Amino acid sequence: MRLYVDSAKCSGCNACRVACSLNLFGENNPKKAALLIVPHFPSPGVYEVKVCTQCGDCAAVCPTEAIKQDERGAYYVDFAECTLCEACVPECPEGVMFVRAELADAAWKCDLCGDCVDVCGTSALWIAEKEAVAA
Amino acid sequence: MPAYLRPTSALRVYIDGKDEVEVEPGRSVRETLVSLNIKPELIALVVVAGEQKTKDYVIQDGDIVKVLAVIGGG
Amino acid sequence: MNGYGGHILRVDLTNGKLTKEPTPAGLARDFIGGRGFGAYFLFKEVPKGADPLGPQNKLIISTGPFSGLMIPGAGKCDFATKSPLTGGYASASMGGHFTAEIKYAGIDSIILEGISPKPVYLFIDDDKIELRDAGDLWGKGTFAVEKHFKEKLGEEFQVAVIGPGGENLVPYACINHDYGRQAGRGGVGTVMGVKKVKAIVIRGTKSVHVANMDAYRAAGKALYKACKDAEFLAEWTRYGTTVVTSWCDEVGALPTRNFSAGSFEGGKGIYGQTMREKIVITDKGCFGCPSPCGKYSHAKKYNAYVEGPEYETIGLLGSNLGIDDIEAVAQANWLVDDLGIDSISTGNVIGWAMECYEKGILSKKDTDGLELNFGNAEATFALIKKIAYREGIGGLLAEGVKSASAEIGKGSERFAIHVKGMEQSGYATHNATAMLLAYMTCDVGAHHNRSWAITYDLQVGRELVVPEKVARVIWLQNFRPMFDVLGSCRLQWVELGINRDLYLPALEAITGVNRTWEDLEKVGERIWNLTRMYWARENEGFGRTWDMPSPRFYEDAPKTGATKGQITKLEDVNKLLDMYYEQRGWTSDGLPMPDKLESLGLTAVVA
Repeated sequence: MRLYVDSAKCSGCNACRVACSLNLFGENNPKKAALLIVPHFPSPGVYEVKVCTQCGDCAAVCPTEAIKQDERGAYYVDFAECTLCEACVPECPEGVMFVRAELADAAWKCDLCGDCVDVCGTSALWIAEKEAVAA
Repeated sequence: MPAYLRPTSALRVYIDGKDEVEVEPGRSVRETLVSLNIKPELIALVVVAGEQKTKDYVIQDGDIVKVLAVIGGG
Repeated sequence: MNGYGGHILRVDLTNGKLTKEPTPAGLARDFIGGRGFGAYFLFKEVPKGADPLGPQNKLIISTGPFSGLMIPGAGKCDFATKSPLTGGYASASMGGHFTAEIKYAGIDSIILEGISPKPVYLFIDDDKIELRDAGDLWGKGTFAVEKHFKEKLGEEFQVAVIGPGGENLVPYACINHDYGRQAGRGGVGTVMGVKKVKAIVIRGTKSVHVANMDAYRAAGKALYKACKDAEFLAEWTRYGTTVVTSWCDEVGALPTRNFSAGSFEGGKGIYGQTMREKIVITDKGCFGCPSPCGKYSHAKKYNAYVEGPEYETIGLLGSNLGIDDIEAVAQANWLVDDLGIDSISTGNVIGWAMECYEKGILSKKDTDGLELNFGNAEATFALIKKIAYREGIGGLLAEGVKSASAEIGKGSERFAIHVKGMEQSGYATHNATAMLLAYMTCDVGAHHNRSWAITYDLQVGRELVVPEKVARVIWLQNFRPMFDVLGSCRLQWVELGINRDLYLPALEAITGVNRTWEDLEKVGERIWNLTRMYWARENEGFGRTWDMPSPRFYEDAPKTGATKGQITKLEDVNKLLDMYYEQRGWTSDGLPMPDKLESLGLTAVVA
């Protein structure tokens, strides 16, 4: 399973990012979200959304094996074992592996909780099997 | 095939509280609304199969006509 | 304080002093936030008789407890000041993402005080707060300035900026944000301009604390679910506010040629479906919005990228000027946004000037050679620039329709469409008595968003003058502004029709305070009465005559369209006011009575 996005449907509202930070950290703080919205304005006037594909490249390089996989195949950060070494960050092809020491004591990434999907009013986000194409 | 009119919830009082009502194909949306005692001017938007139509659109067999009223809010 | 940033930031521009003080708990209890805070600070802190363009006036920028939280459309920000356009209360609501950053920086209200000796911008990055030189940005358009900051500081920073209109003190200058969202009405951008604040750039990375995290998440999700389950979500989102353009045309509410009619023969060219097919690129949502009404467009004819046009701008810069081309409306929209002037007031003054021109009151000599006939898009573009830079006839039009018509005279006052000096927004009210009353009694002048009662007119009979209509207007005026107090958008309730009770558990979980809608409407009534007292305090002789509408709506029945031959009688206008004052608990001259103030806990506040 992984999270999919159709950027063309995104309106840039950031509800997904608030929901994400609430799940990951129990905090209301979209700066601590695991998906990114990159606005391209004033032209061409589109939003580009970056989401985790659960490729596992981050886990592969983690020296402390802090990035683990759950039963659905989702990689998540075990906060207690992360040393903030940042080895994972450059490995992420989508730019959604985060280390910001000023904000959190551990790295963070998408754990496929699905809360972002629940609050997306334009159905730009969904979770499906990895092989599946657009829903 | 029957056609159906599906109005905003605020208009359900006109169709016995139901979600939708079967309507006769071959009549315009405007005539259909009048026959249900719904004032056409309360309707802001008529949509059939995702496309916006005017109130002069003639309802076809199998249509689901969604009508959005601008009452209730304010 | 749960749900709040916790601080009021004061920026003394005269001497560059920055101070933070805790947000008073009593203020949060009685006025909650957003527009409530703005109205309170304005009343209490800006001294009686202050010059709107002087150092005593303040610009108060406020978030509400919902701002920046997981609540649908929690991106509403209130800008309050003493209006340079009307001399009374101004409160403009802006969407986008600005208000969320204020909250994340730990701030509830930013209060701009005094006047800076030179152009500055206010920089806020959490607790790092500075006034920085903006000499090289002064004179630039809003789009260039926002782009400058986004490129320099990154996308996490949010920007609110004024254009040349604000710098040149056009009294209906606006504040721009997110390439197309505005605090539009009443000259809040003018006040920012006279204070020489070109922009506010802000980032906050703090978490907002809530009283009950689990209950908050559940209540927030329930609100989103209700929105997503709403049957017409897809249709509203596809067209946004332009859903109503064709409807307004059909029922004779679409401002046409300076409100001389309510239906436009060229309407089809500016309808929502035409716009969606011809120019829309993407939906563009404010913070946390599941039903984004914002459309972002590219008008190829002019190579204009612009947010919208949304309904009000289409009405005022389209049909009200006789313009039937959505691309031309988009270009006019781009110009007013970039120059930082309110599209609604601008569309009114140009419509008034065009009527003056067609009636021979203004000649080509007066208009710097422009042929100001209705439908002339190129002349419209030229006038917009002249207004923002106060060039030629633009100097006259920059004063707004009330002042401009007083200066020109010759009967042009009769078709200057305003209440209390604020130009009327996008609903023609020749025969829609509840909507007419809503405009007459709105707390900032002729603006629609406190009480969008026109749907009620259509429902119960538009020409009826009955107490029920007045009660509906009052209820909406007490209730709708509460969204601006709480800091979220009203459109999920107005458009999607979600149950408003769903907000109550969210508010309790966030703030820890249990409130019913009855409680909240009481706060709305408190604010409404306080701002009424503000108008009376600031304007000698304030009273009933200030609530009169433009004579157009009781003298000039439209000659064409759905409301052809229809008009509200002057005696009915007065009857509406009589009923309104009585139901409000005000005197027959429209002033709150002492026992009304007492019942709202305002006696000490206004003393």
